[in-house]
Amino acid sequence: MIDTLLALLKASDIDGWEITDTSTEGWEFYLIRHRLDQNRVRKVRHISVKVYKRLKNGTCLGSASGEMAPTLSEAEMRRQLQDLIKAASLVENRAYTLNPRAVLTGKTPEKTDPAVTSETLLELLSSLPETDSADMNSAEIFVDQVTRRFLTSEGTEVTTCAPKSMLEVVVNARRNGHEIELYRLYRFGACDREMLREDLCRALRFGPDRLTAVPTPALQAFDVVFSTADACPIYRYFIDRMNASMIVRGYSDWKIGQPVCEQGDGDPVTIQAVGVLPGSSVGGLLDPEGALSCDMPVITDSIAAHYHGSRQFRCYAEMTDGYLAQNFVVSGGHRTDDEIRSGDYLEIVEFSDFQVDTITGDIAGEIRLGYLHKGSTVSVVTGGSVSGSMRTLARDMRMSLRQVQYDCLRIPALTRLHGVTITGCENEA
Amino acid sequence: MQAPFSPYLRSIAGGMRQLMERFYQDFDDVRILCTDSVGFAARVSRQVTTLSHETMTTERGMVVRVWKNGRYSEAAFNCFDPQDPDRTYAEILPVLQAQFLLLEKTGTPTYETGHAEDTPCQLYTEMETGRLPEDEDLSALLQSLKSISQKGLSMDPHLVDVQISAQSTHVCKMFLTRNRDMRQSYVYSEGAISCVGSLNGRMEMSYQGVSGRKGPELFAALDDLLPQVVKIVQELLTSERITPGEYDIITSPEVTGLIAHEAFGHGVEMDMFVKHRALGAEYIGQRVGSDLVSMHEGALCATDVTSYAFDDEGTLAGDVTEIDHGILRTGICDALSALRLGCAPTGNGKRQNFEHKVYTRMTNTIFDSGTSTFEEMIRSIDYGFYLCGMQSGMEDPKHWGIQCIVERAYEIRNGQLTGKVMSPIVLTGYVPDLLSSISMVSRDREVFGNGGCGKGHKEWVKVADGGPYLKAKARLG
Repeated sequence: MIDTLLALLKASDIDGWEITDTSTEGWEFYLIRHRLDQNRVRKVRHISVKVYKRLKNGTCLGSASGEMAPTLSEAEMRRQLQDLIKAASLVENRAYTLNPRAVLTGKTPEKTDPAVTSETLLELLSSLPETDSADMNSAEIFVDQVTRRFLTSEGTEVTTCAPKSMLEVVVNARRNGHEIELYRLYRFGACDREMLREDLCRALRFGPDRLTAVPTPALQAFDVVFSTADACPIYRYFIDRMNASMIVRGYSDWKIGQPVCEQGDGDPVTIQAVGVLPGSSVGGLLDPEGALSCDMPVITDSIAAHYHGSRQFRCYAEMTDGYLAQNFVVSGGHRTDDEIRSGDYLEIVEFSDFQVDTITGDIAGEIRLGYLHKGSTVSVVTGGSVSGSMRTLARDMRMSLRQVQYDCLRIPALTRLHGVTITGCENEA
Repeated sequence: MQAPFSPYLRSIAGGMRQLMERFYQDFDDVRILCTDSVGFAARVSRQVTTLSHETMTTERGMVVRVWKNGRYSEAAFNCFDPQDPDRTYAEILPVLQAQFLLLEKTGTPTYETGHAEDTPCQLYTEMETGRLPEDEDLSALLQSLKSISQKGLSMDPHLVDVQISAQSTHVCKMFLTRNRDMRQSYVYSEGAISCVGSLNGRMEMSYQGVSGRKGPELFAALDDLLPQVVKIVQELLTSERITPGEYDIITSPEVTGLIAHEAFGHGVEMDMFVKHRALGAEYIGQRVGSDLVSMHEGALCATDVTSYAFDDEGTLAGDVTEIDHGILRTGICDALSALRLGCAPTGNGKRQNFEHKVYTRMTNTIFDSGTSTFEEMIRSIDYGFYLCGMQSGMEDPKHWGIQCIVERAYEIRNGQLTGKVMSPIVLTGYVPDLLSSISMVSRDREVFGNGGCGKGHKEWVKVADGGPYLKAKARLG
C-alpha cells in the first residue's frame, strides 16, 4: 500500500508530501463495579496523506490532507490523490518552507505488550482500598500499542513505537442513603501504577467529604488553591498563547522578550517545551510534522521566549527553529506546600468542568468539592462557581516548588490564584 | 437527489457475511456494523485557508460484536479483504482469546447478560440531499467563504479575525446479522462563523453556526449570519461582569438546548441507570419540573445532524417523550443496556466511530414549545437577564448539578431590555429547581446541531438540541 502510494506521489505534479502510517493494537476492558461489561480489541491502520503545491510563482503554498483507507484499490488511491492535489491547488496560503529531513539516531523503542499493561490496570482496580462508604462504580481501560511510520518528500523516514493508554474511573461515596460520584480520567504513555493508585485512593477519601459538604458561601474575591489536574487549564492558557498560530492570527499579543503578564506578588512563570516527557502519552523525538523535538524555553520568568506550533505558523512568525511541541514542564514556583496553603483560602479539589478561555482569559467552573479555610476553621463546601480572568489573576499567581505530572504537562503541585470571584449557592452568614 | 449508498460497503457485504459465519463457530450471537463515510472540511480565516477530506465523522471500518455465555466482546478493524475473511478471523480470534485468558487470570467476573432476539429486518434508506460533499465545487465554496470573511473584516476595524468553517459528511452505514440487512445513507453539514475582536487590550470571540441533514447547499445561509456575529463581538467587547446572584432569566433557544442537553439529556442516558450513576432512575413517574416542561429526545424528533434511520446497533430511530408536563416518563437506551434493564432500546446506541464502544447517546434533545411570545416573557420581568449564546456545559447525573457557560446576558429592567450586556455567564444550580422554576415557554422553537458531545471527557459524537424561549429562575455568576 505505502509503496504504491509513494510511487503515485512521486509521479504527481506536487511540491511536497507527508505520509503518516499509524497502526494500533488496542485492548479495552469496561467494568461495572468489578464485573466485565465488555472486552474489546482494536486492530486498525490509518494512513494520512498531506500534499503541498506551489502556487502563484511560488509566492503561495497550498496544501490539503486526507486519510487513505488501507483497503483502497490503486485506482481509488489515484483518484483520491488527484482530489487532494486539486484541493491543494485551491488553498492559496502565503509560502512557507517544509521541515527539512530529520534523522533519528539511537535504537527504535521496542513494542510493549498491551496484555501486560492491561493486567497491571485490572489488578490495580481490584486492589483499591474500597470501603462501605466509598468504592469504585465503574471503570474503562484502554491500552494501545501504536506504531507510527512517518515519511516526507524531504527525505525523512522514521518509525516509532509507543504505548498510549487511558483509564477512566468513577468513584461513588454514600452516606445515609445519599450517593455521589467523582470522575477521574487519566491519559498516559508508560503506566505508572503507583501514581494512579495514589490518586485513586485520594478520590476515595474525597468522596465521603462531599457528602458532608455545605453550600459554598458567596465569598466575592477570594484566594483559590488548585491541587488537582484542574490546574492544567491555567497553564494551558500560557502555553496556547505562545502558540505561533495564536500569534499569527492575532489572537495573542504576546511578543518575544516582553512580559506575558504584569508581575505583582506572584511567582514568575517558566515553561519549557520538551520532546520526551517520561510517562506522557504524546510527543517523542520527532513532532507530528517531522521536526526534531528538543528542550526549548517557551516562557522564562514570565518573559516570552520562543513560539511553538506548526511549521506553517512558525514560518509566518519568523521562528522556524522550534517545533510542534506537545509536552511541557512548568516551573518557577519556589514555595513550600505550607506556604501556598496559608491564611484564608478555598482549596477546590473537584470541579464539574474547570475551563480557561485561551482568547479572553476568562476562567469558569462549578465547584463540586472544596475545602474552605477561614481563620482556624475548615469547612467542606459544594456548589457555586468560580469566575475571573487570567489577564489579571496571573499577576499574583503563586506556585509550589513541588511538581506533579498530568500526562503531557508537568506543573507545580499547588497553584494559588488571588482574588477569584466565588459565586456561592447561599449567602455568607 | 438521494444520497447514494456506498459501493464499497455493498462490495464487502458478502465477505462480511462469511466472516460472521466464521465467528458463529465460536460464539452464539454475531452482529456487524460497517461504515464508509466521506466528506470535507474547509476553513478560511484572515491569514490561512485549510482544506481536508476528513471531518469529525469520516471513517471506513468495521466492528464485530460477539456473545457467548453471557459475555459481550467486540473487535474493530479496517483492513478487511472480502475475498479472504478467514484472514481477519485468524487475526482477531486469538487476541480475543488472549483477553479471555487475562480475565480468567485476574479473576474478573462477567456481568452476565442475555442476547437480544435477532428480529428480521431489511432496510435500505438513501435520504434526500441537495448536493453531495464528494461532488462539491470546492473552488467556488472557498471563494464564497473568503468573500464572507473579508466582508466581515471590513465591518469593524476592531475585528482581528473572521473565520468561516464549512464541513459536510456523507454517512453510509451497514448493519448485518443473520436476519438483518440494514443500510442507510445520508448527508449532514454544518457551517460556522467565528469572530474575534479586540478593544483596549481586551479580546472577545463569538461563534454562530448553521447545521442540518442537508448537503453543502446549507452554506448559503452563512452570509446571512455574518452581521449578527459581528454585532455580538461588538457587544462583548464592551460587556460588563455580572453581579453574582439568583435572577429571573429568559433563555434563548440555543441556551434552552444547552439546558435540555445537560439537565435531562445526560441524566436519562440509561447506560447510566445500569451503573447506578443517574439519579433519574429513581424519579421515573415523578415530578422533575413545572407543568410547562415537556421534553423529547430521538433521531426522529427533528431533522438535523444526527437524524439517522437506525443507530449503531441496528435499532430503528425513535422519538421518546422524556418529560411530560413536568413528570419524568422515561430515558433513552442502547440495546445492551435495554437487555440489562429489561426494557426496549430507543435507537440511541451510538459510537464515536467504528473503533469505539456503543454508549447510550443523545440525538435531538428538545424542549416542547408553549404558548407565550418572547415579547410577553420580557415584559413579565422586573429585573433579570436574557441569556444568549452557548459555550459549554457539564452534567452531574448523580447529583443533578448543572453547569452551563453562556456567552452573554442582556439586562432586563421593568419589562424592557436596557441594552446592557454582561459576559461571560456561569449558570449553575440543581436541575429540578431550575426546571421547576420554568414559568413561561414560548410558542416557537429552534434546533442547533453544531459542535459535539462527550461522555465524561471523551467519546465525541454529533448531537443536536434546542427548544423555545424559557422563563425561569437561575443562579448566575
